[in-house]
Amino acid sequence: MDNSAAALIGMGLAAIGFAGSGIGLGTLFGKAIEAIARQPGAEAQVSKYIWIGMAFVEAIALYGLVVVFIIMGKG
Amino acid sequence: MISVANAAAEVHAKPEGMPQFEPSMFEHQIFWSVISFLILLYLLNKHVMPAIKELLDVRAKKIEDDLASAQKARREAEKIQADLNNKLISSHKVASDVCEQARVEASLLRERAVEELSLELEKKKKAAVEDIEIAKKKALAEVQAVVVDVAVMATEKLIAKNVTKESASAMVDEALNEIKDSKTSLH
Amino acid sequence: MTLISSALASEAASTVVERKMDPLHHFQVHKIWDMSVFGVDISVSNSVVWMWIAVAVAFFFFYYSITGAKRIPGRMQSLAELGYLFIYDMMVGIIGKDEVPKFFPYVFTIFYFILFCNLLGLIPGSFTPTSQIIVTGTFAAIIVGISFLYGFYRNGIHYLKFFVPSGVPVLLLPLIIPIEIISFLARPVSLSVRLFANMTAGHTMLAVMFFYVVTLPIYGSWLPFGFSVVFTGVEIFIGFIQAYIFTILTCVYINDAIHLH
Repeated sequence: MDNSAAALIGMGLAAIGFAGSGIGLGTLFGKAIEAIARQPGAEAQVSKYIWIGMAFVEAIALYGLVVVFIIMGKG
Repeated sequence: MISVANAAAEVHAKPEGMPQFEPSMFEHQIFWSVISFLILLYLLNKHVMPAIKELLDVRAKKIEDDLASAQKARREAEKIQADLNNKLISSHKVASDVCEQARVEASLLRERAVEELSLELEKKKKAAVEDIEIAKKKALAEVQAVVVDVAVMATEKLIAKNVTKESASAMVDEALNEIKDSKTSLH
Repeated sequence: MTLISSALASEAASTVVERKMDPLHHFQVHKIWDMSVFGVDISVSNSVVWMWIAVAVAFFFFYYSITGAKRIPGRMQSLAELGYLFIYDMMVGIIGKDEVPKFFPYVFTIFYFILFCNLLGLIPGSFTPTSQIIVTGTFAAIIVGISFLYGFYRNGIHYLKFFVPSGVPVLLLPLIIPIEIISFLARPVSLSVRLFANMTAGHTMLAVMFFYVVTLPIYGSWLPFGFSVVFTGVEIFIGFIQAYIFTILTCVYINDAIHLH
């Protein structure tokens, strides 16, 4: 197999990692909305943690993106 | 899609990779980021943070002072209210004392009046009884006089006339009528 | 972004040259003034220039907000006070009131440095120093270094207990201690990669959209254009959130150094 073809496949495979971030975001927001529905008084505090958690979860996807870029350079 | 294919072809033709991982560019960026951080730290620490801190402290102190003075004013108002309450209570007391005194005096006066009245009544009763006694005596005396008069008159008649049985009884009737008349005139 | 101009230039030059998509082009560091002192490379590059600009903007923003400060604050003064209290309250919430004054200047500086780097990077034609892993890595190293050194300074040799979680069976210790050490060493890496990857990803996404704006015909280019407008707003938000996350994790690490768990 050609090196560049392998690199393209690898980049595509690295993008699979974004699925994990998607699952994480779904869980995060689902649970947060559940929590707010149960206790609307805590909305301000919960939403603060939503954004922090969102940044963490998104960072995981971006690690995958960094891997994609690194492979892009090697191809 | 065509452009994506072109881009991939370009990447294949000239592999570049991420510019961020170019080691020849590391050293000066490390140096300058440390220096920039220190410069900003110095500037903010020297000129900005103390000023903002002072501002906030001054404002906090002002709010605290305002709160304290408000507390003080409130305490004063409470004191004034308590004073007023005390005054009100004492004046109530004075008023009720006056009332009580008035009532006592009134009852005293009434008692005295009742006593005086009863004394007077007693006196009047006594006087009336005496009057009645006198009148009785006088009446009795008059009755006696009338009886004597009747007896005298009857005797006169007896003596002056020749007395029959009919005339005698007529004379007695006459005499009695006279007594009756005098009696009625007496009353 | 420089990408737009380069794409337009290539289009203007000749239609023979294929237009290529190079979304990472604007992350390239160019040395403007090459020099070194005592073997240390202190060249001035576009990254360094934008670092200076961020420092200047951050400083003058605060400086002019509070000069002629009044007891009843104006808009800018309120903003400056809000920015001060934002960091202060966050630190009080995590570290506790007693230790805040010691670390406040560092945390305050790092937050506003990163925030202004992130936000100024969104100006077209500018450069984002925080999209360079070596810059974020330096910040992370400064922060972790401060917390590590302070941990030793405060707790002495007891600070090494930090790597030995309490309540773990002795048999497990040979397994746990390396894990703790690795997770400690991963801190600066995750800090720096998070910030750098967020900035890079956002700007790359914008660059891809700009590429399609200039290459697609007019009836198709409004779609990526509209998306890029919206995504610039999202980038402002992400720039703020990432600076916040960086700062909050800084506070957590400092707290770990003060109160051993």
